[in-house]
Amino acid sequence: MSRNLCFAILVVVLACAMCTTGCKRKGKTSATGGDNIGGINGPGGEQGLSVRPEGGLDVLAVKFENVLFDYDSAQVSEAQRAKIEAVADFLKKNARTGALIEGNCDERGSAEYNMSLGERRALAVRASLVGLGIDGAIIQTKSNGKEKPASMGHDEAAWSLNRRAEFVLFNQ
Amino acid sequence: MKRWGLVLALMFFSVLSMAPAQVRVTKGMNGVSSLDIAQFVGQSGGVPALFRQTLEADLKASGWFNLTGGGRAEFSLIGEAAMDGSSLKVRCEAYNVAGRERLLGKTYNTNASDREARRLAHKVADDIVLALTGRTGMAGARILLIGNRTGKKEVYLCDADGQNLRQLTRDNTISMSPKWSPDGRRFVYTSFRSQFPDLYLVNLETGDRKCIANYPGLNTGAAFSPDGSAVALILSKDGNPDLYIKDLAGGGLTRLTSTRRAAEASPAWSADGRQIVFVSDMKGTPQLYVIDRSGGEPRRLTSRGSQNVDPDWGANGQIAYCSYVGGSYQICVINPATLEFRQVTREDANYEDPSWAPDGRHIVCTRTVNYRSRIFMIDTLGGSLIPLLPETERGDWFAPNWSKQ
Repeated sequence: MSRNLCFAILVVVLACAMCTTGCKRKGKTSATGGDNIGGINGPGGEQGLSVRPEGGLDVLAVKFENVLFDYDSAQVSEAQRAKIEAVADFLKKNARTGALIEGNCDERGSAEYNMSLGERRALAVRASLVGLGIDGAIIQTKSNGKEKPASMGHDEAAWSLNRRAEFVLFNQ
Repeated sequence: MKRWGLVLALMFFSVLSMAPAQVRVTKGMNGVSSLDIAQFVGQSGGVPALFRQTLEADLKASGWFNLTGGGRAEFSLIGEAAMDGSSLKVRCEAYNVAGRERLLGKTYNTNASDREARRLAHKVADDIVLALTGRTGMAGARILLIGNRTGKKEVYLCDADGQNLRQLTRDNTISMSPKWSPDGRRFVYTSFRSQFPDLYLVNLETGDRKCIANYPGLNTGAAFSPDGSAVALILSKDGNPDLYIKDLAGGGLTRLTSTRRAAEASPAWSADGRQIVFVSDMKGTPQLYVIDRSGGEPRRLTSRGSQNVDPDWGANGQIAYCSYVGGSYQICVINPATLEFRQVTREDANYEDPSWAPDGRHIVCTRTVNYRSRIFMIDTLGGSLIPLLPETERGDWFAPNWSKQ
């Protein structure tokens, strides 16, 4: 009984030690300046997405083609792969460059669901970049949902252009 | 034997909740009762007149009454609204005529201003609705909305009758999905003011704003738990947009879903705080699911249609949501226990973003025609459709959220 108790205490102590060393608190400055947010940052770098860069992004002037998506889909089709390869090539040739992938949707449907779908699109492109050998830690994702259309029309021609992932490359 | 008793009880309660609500005296069609207001008098101008107009409009809008000016009626309202120095004094009595039973007898007092006259009229209307029908009213509750008349999407606030519209945020960026705290003092919303979608908590009285989630990736869809201690939210920080609960005091995060290659969205809590309804495309298309707040296997609610989104779980136990059916978006109401559902809007426009009024009868939603969006109130029992803001109000309006009181 006493041996099990000691073991249990040891496990609990170890678990606590791991927790306190794993969490980072980072102050956050708003990219737009203004009032203090006092935000609460989650732990970064564990499995999922890495912490956003501090302050605003130092954006590179280089432009890449948008990856386009089918309706209600976050799958990267074969035809779109070359666009992602072009970004991967650039990142490999330019050290200390990070990539922000912005996922977008067409104007139809729930604004909130489109935030999640846009994020899935960004994450899918991120996964493709990782598959091409890029370190996931230098890739940020952002969803604009349906809030930032590239084309203002109300037909499939416009919608197909709006279902997209855009690349913003920046100096790290 | 016990199990059959439970099944029968479930069927009984679900039938009850789908049926028109019980009123104390039900004589008219659709549960509408006649209410004689001829003996509610007051000065014909100024603040007392504004009070009476507002009260009358609220009683009409409630859907429970057919207002008459005398003659035979089931209920009668007797009283007076008058100035007394710089105060507005209101005396109000309501009677069940047949039984000669006095159901309400109260006096009220407030500063004599237009704003106070409206506020008091809403309160009196809700008191009358409660006394005569046993139901919570909707007149005193307020509505948060998103409007773009400044060129950017900002959060606005107005009364349940569309009055007192005012702009709350001036972030000059994209604001989305404001949701009330249960006590009506705070709200949460999504903002791009940091250039990324983050969640903020605002105290309406003090104006203080705090960021409550700015994790890497997506932070959106915040909804207060009924006890106000936590929010359900959507985060993608662990690799995918998933459903989480965040404790507001301690900041602790609980992850409820981890659906790979699928996205969750739009959580809403049951009135008892035990369950959360949310949207997920884990089976291919966005559908509604319910999960215990402690986690576990989600239970699917919807199967008809390629999109079932934007749920709001009413105090009446019913879930209002938006369904893509026959080429347009329509508001439906589903009973989460029986999965019976019905459509409450007509296919003459796109209807989205439903939010229940505290009366459990009305729903406020976005109605879009030719890509122009306005806010409308639906009476789920009577079928009427009324605009919240006048046509003259510029811009498009979205994402209405009705306070709980």
